Amino acid sequence: MALRYKHFEAIEKNAALLGVLIAIMVSLGGLAEITPLFVKASTAEAPPGYDPYDPLRLAGKDIYVREGCYLCHSQMVRALRFETQRYGAHSVASESAYDRPFQWGSKRTGPDLARVGGKYSDEWHRLHLISPRTVVPESNMPNYPWLAERGIDAAVVQQRMRTLRRLGDPYTDEDIASVSEALADKTELDAIVAYLQGLGTLNKPQAPDAPSTP
Amino acid sequence: MSAFWSGWVKFLVVLNLGITFFLFIWALRVRIPTEPDGTTGHVWAHGVIREGVRNLPLWWILFSAAMFAVGFVYLTLFPGFGNFKGTLGWTSAAELEQDIARNEAKLEETIRPLRGLSIAEMSEHPNATALGYRLFQDNCAACHGTRATGNHALGAPDLTDDDWLYGGSGETILASILDGRQGTMPAWGQVLGHNGVNEVTAYVLSLSGYSVPEDWEQAGKAHYEKICVACHGVDGRGNTAVGAPNLTDRTWLYGGDFASVATSVRDGRHGIMPAWRARLSEDEARLIAAWVYAQNAERRRDEIS
Repeated sequence: MALRYKHFEAIEKNAALLGVLIAIMVSLGGLAEITPLFVKASTAEAPPGYDPYDPLRLAGKDIYVREGCYLCHSQMVRALRFETQRYGAHSVASESAYDRPFQWGSKRTGPDLARVGGKYSDEWHRLHLISPRTVVPESNMPNYPWLAERGIDAAVVQQRMRTLRRLGDPYTDEDIASVSEALADKTELDAIVAYLQGLGTLNKPQAPDAPSTP
Repeated sequence: MSAFWSGWVKFLVVLNLGITFFLFIWALRVRIPTEPDGTTGHVWAHGVIREGVRNLPLWWILFSAAMFAVGFVYLTLFPGFGNFKGTLGWTSAAELEQDIARNEAKLEETIRPLRGLSIAEMSEHPNATALGYRLFQDNCAACHGTRATGNHALGAPDLTDDDWLYGGSGETILASILDGRQGTMPAWGQVLGHNGVNEVTAYVLSLSGYSVPEDWEQAGKAHYEKICVACHGVDGRGNTAVGAPNLTDRTWLYGGDFASVATSVRDGRHGIMPAWRARLSEDEARLIAAWVYAQNAERRRDEIS
């Protein structure tokens, strides 16, 4: 009995062997699709003339992450007509070269922000962040009144810039030395408004026909 | 993608499809030896459950074969097999361009007859105002409100009244949309001092017919004639050339209560209408201008009467 199918039994009755064989088969797809991008992330390299965030915008980006803005706002205009009509040119991977982590998001309770820079005035952003319903009565975005009351710790921003330099972002010693001056008297509100106003404008989008996938 | 990684992807695709395809073919042809009782001899639970032998169902064979066919056809037509671009040459960017071109061709039929018209003529065209309304909601309502009635907190003007900072002709509205406006009311708190600000505020409110303390009004008038006339004019009716508001019409950008007007005098105001030339096409800006033009309450009232 059961002699001819010993090799099946070995798999069926040994959970560890079954698990290893399943893992090998399942990982084939990942090995083909993920590993090349991991090892050679050329698509996320900054194009020439594409500067990393200045200290104020870098501080603003960290506040954006801290407040969880990405939970309701994406920063990726997909290559679909109804998106480019509303938001502008579609996003390409290299635009996120200095975003660690990138803020593409996967949920839009509010609108996409990849091209929001310059769409509204600074004053609009200030009113809107402190109390969104002041300017958009229909909005369901929360109030962020504390942003206007908090300053920014220049030493923390300098540490972040040194870390990012180690990861390959082209910050110079002068850039890092300029932080204290750039952030003097600035509130978190100033920082996040500067960050938002830079989205899609200072980080200029590439030509739409540039390769966005390998 | 480098040749190595392209080869890597191709190898894995071939390996994966090869293994599954081999299993598919082999499972159809393999002869399964059976025990005398007609089972395979493969048992569970000490023989209580025994594996019988049946042919694979036809529907399963056909579905599996169809899946392989779809996979091969897909990898032939579309990108996916290493750096092979696919025989269709499909890209998402090209598909987007085609979609935009199709949509613009469709819109062109509606917009072409409107191109030769002035903004005022367009505003009487239901197609123009319907399209303009959509574009206004998407681009302008965040500041001017969904009904274009403006916002005192921001100094966004009400677009439905007959009070225009820079003039209310269709072409002026279009210029405001395309190139934006930078409002500049200087701060006079340092020059006027606390009392001076109150006096000027009182005089400004009196221009709109509010009753204010007479001594404040007289003192404010003296300040006004030295400082404010340059932009707002002797009679306080403003100047559309520089976007100086009319102070006599009880229409207020930042609110008409004493404190709001005093803040404007003391700290100045810097209302900004962003330029939309980079975001909107000229056609789109004209459609918005036409809808805004049609909202003018005074004008509509005239039409009715």
